[in-house]
Amino acid sequence: MRFFRAAYAVAWKDVLLELRRKETFTAMFFFSLLVLLMFNFTLSLDRTQVLSLAPGLLWLAITFTGVLGLGKGFLAERENECMDGLILSPVPRGAIFLGKLAGNFLFIFAVEAVTLPLFVVLFNLDVWGRIGLLLFVVILGTAGLSLLGTLLSAMTVQVRAREVMFPLLILPLVIPVLIGAVQATAGVMRGDGWAEYAHWIRLLVAFDVVFSVASFWGFSFLLED
Amino acid sequence: MFLFKLPTWQRIMGWGTVVLLPTGLFLALTAPPDAFQGPAARIMYVHVPSAWTAMFAGVVLFFNSVMYLWRRHKSWDTAAHATAGIGAVFTVLALLGGSIWGKPIWGVWWTWDARLTATAVLLMIYVGYLMLRAFLDDPEKEARFAAVVAIVGMIDVPIIHFSVKWWRTLHQAPSVMKPDVPSMPFEMLFPLLVMTVAFTVFFHYLLFLRMQLLQKEKLIEAQRQAVLREVQL
Repeated sequence: MRFFRAAYAVAWKDVLLELRRKETFTAMFFFSLLVLLMFNFTLSLDRTQVLSLAPGLLWLAITFTGVLGLGKGFLAERENECMDGLILSPVPRGAIFLGKLAGNFLFIFAVEAVTLPLFVVLFNLDVWGRIGLLLFVVILGTAGLSLLGTLLSAMTVQVRAREVMFPLLILPLVIPVLIGAVQATAGVMRGDGWAEYAHWIRLLVAFDVVFSVASFWGFSFLLED
Repeated sequence: MFLFKLPTWQRIMGWGTVVLLPTGLFLALTAPPDAFQGPAARIMYVHVPSAWTAMFAGVVLFFNSVMYLWRRHKSWDTAAHATAGIGAVFTVLALLGGSIWGKPIWGVWWTWDARLTATAVLLMIYVGYLMLRAFLDDPEKEARFAAVVAIVGMIDVPIIHFSVKWWRTLHQAPSVMKPDVPSMPFEMLFPLLVMTVAFTVFFHYLLFLRMQLLQKEKLIEAQRQAVLREVQL
C-alpha cells in the first residue's frame, strides 16, 4: 500500500507540474500535428494507399511524439537538482519507476486522445465503429513505448548529449512494439475479425510483460548515487 | 577469474588463430563447389562464422554485464566493453559478407528478412552501447548504465527476430529467398566447422588483447586525473 501511495505521489507531482506549466503537452501535441502535416506533404496519398499506409503513419507519429516527450522524462528533476531528493526519499526504487511510468504514459495518452481523432478525420478513415478496439491497441503500444522510455530516459538524462543518445537507444529497442502495434492497428482499420490479429495483440502483451520486469529490475541500478 | 593471466591467454588464442584460420581457409577453398550456387557459396565459409561470432559476442556481452551488476568487479565491465566493440566489427563483417553473397544468389544486396533485420538491429544496439559509454565520464556510472543497456538490448534481440519472422512469414512468402540445401555433405560441413572454431578462437584473441588495452587506457586516464588534481593543488 505504501508502495502505491509513493508511486501515486511521484506521478501526481508530474501531473500537477504539467497542469501548471503545460509545456510537455503543448510541445508534444503540436509536434504530432506537424508530423501529420509532413506526411501529407511528403506522401501524396490516394484513397487506397491511405488504408494500407495509415497504420504505419499513425505509429510513426506516435513514436516520434513519444520519443520527444519521453526524452524529457527526468529533466524537471535534473534541472531543479531534485534527483538527489528523489534518490534519498525513503521509498522503493520500483515506486519511483512506477510513478514516472504512469506520468509518462498519461502525457503520451493525453496527446493521443486528441491526435487520434484528428488523424482519423484528416486521413478519412472509417473506424468510428471500432474506436474502442483501436484505443485498446494504442494503449498496449503506448505502454511498451513508455516502459522503455522511462527506463532509458532515467539513464540518458545523466549523460552528455542526451538529445542524441535517447532516440539512438530507444528506437532499435521498440521495433517489436511497432511491428505488433502496426499490424494490430491495420487489422482493426480493415475491420478484420479478432482472430486474424489476436496474435499481434499477444505479441504486444508479451512485450509489455517482459519489459515491465526488465525495466523495473534495470531501473533499480540507475539511481544509486 | 582466469587460470592464466590475460597475456598468456591472448598468446594461446593468437597461436590457435594462426593455425586454425589458414587450415580452415584451405579446407574451404578446396571443398567441393555447391551444385546450385557455384563459387559464390564459398562466401558461406566466412559469412556463417562471422554471424555466429557476432551473436556469440552478444551472449558474452549479456553474461559479462549480468556478472558486473552482480559482483561489481571492474574486470567484468572491461570484458563487456571489449566484447561490444569486437561484436560490432563481426556484425559488420556478417552483414557485408551476406550482402556480397546475396547479390549473385538472391539478386539483391539486401532484403528485409528476419535474420538480416535482427542482425542490423544488433549492430544498432552495439553502436548505441558504445556511444553511451563514450558520453559518460564517471567510470563507475558508465559501467552500471552500460550493463543495463546491454542486458535490456540482448533480451530484445530475440524478440525482434521472432516478431520480424512472424510478420514476414504471415504476409509474404519469401520470394527471393530460396531455402538453402537442407543438409550439407560432410566435405562442406567440416570446413565450416573448422572456420567457426577458428573465428571463435580469433574472437577470444581479440577480446583478451582489447581487454588489456582498455585496462591500460583506464590506468592512464586515472593517472592523468591524479596529475591534474596535483597540479590544481
